[in-house]
Amino acid sequence: MSATPKPAAPGNFTILYFATATSFTGKNVESLPAPLSLRKLGDVLEERYKGIREEVLGHSLVTINLAYVDVPEEGEDDVIIQEGDEVAIIPPVSSG
Amino acid sequence: MTTQDQVNPPPPEGESSISLPGIYVSLTDLPLDILSIMDKVRSPEAGAIVTFAGTTRNNFASKPVTSLTYTSYRPLALQTLSSIASSLLTKHALKGIAIVHRLGTVPIGEESILIAVSSAHRKAAWLAGEEALEECKEKVEVWKREEFEDGGVWRANRDGHQGAEVKEGNKGE
Repeated sequence: MSATPKPAAPGNFTILYFATATSFTGKNVESLPAPLSLRKLGDVLEERYKGIREEVLGHSLVTINLAYVDVPEEGEDDVIIQEGDEVAIIPPVSSG
Repeated sequence: MTTQDQVNPPPPEGESSISLPGIYVSLTDLPLDILSIMDKVRSPEAGAIVTFAGTTRNNFASKPVTSLTYTSYRPLALQTLSSIASSLLTKHALKGIAIVHRLGTVPIGEESILIAVSSAHRKAAWLAGEEALEECKEKVEVWKREEFEDGGVWRANRDGHQGAEVKEGNKGE
């Protein structure tokens, strides 16, 4: 039933893209090296896909293993994305 | 650095659903059937079944839409649908609630979402049916892409009209 692709290779996590995130990256899914601080995720993606922060991430939410997470601000406790985690970029939805 | 990039969309996955007492939610690549969703909420204790069918429109702000395609983060969308259904079941003391959303390309004029709720008396069913749709449109992880003669947009319910343009040379599908 799951749209989840095969698990990430050792030392990686899986990141899923939907809608505008798919259009921007040209991908539905890829693997990125883990562990990674959630606060750094935006930097990693911006480095790979210039402009994604403003065009996509600024309007999107993030899930880790099917749970929404707040991207921590400076000074807040960080969340670490672990090997094998499934991260997703969730742009504004449009069901119905 | 990247070990297993995947560019092509995953293959169609048919139907996935969650069934709990009084609750049925589903995502499917197949055409929707109003009678079968009514049967999911039918109850001898119910005095009303309210149904809603959302259909695909042939234009956006008068601009002709040539086709519509829905994609989803299926496991998360099912989880969200189930949570919406569960809270409305309790809030309105429903006998049953069922929500199904179609994915993939939906021809113009066909149903993209069906909602059915049953309750002892009609008022609760009317209210719950409307709330279910509004909650879905706000929260369920499904995305609609509208194709026009001159390109496509990912629609966003949040602002009602301003989806992000699919840029030339930047198409992901």
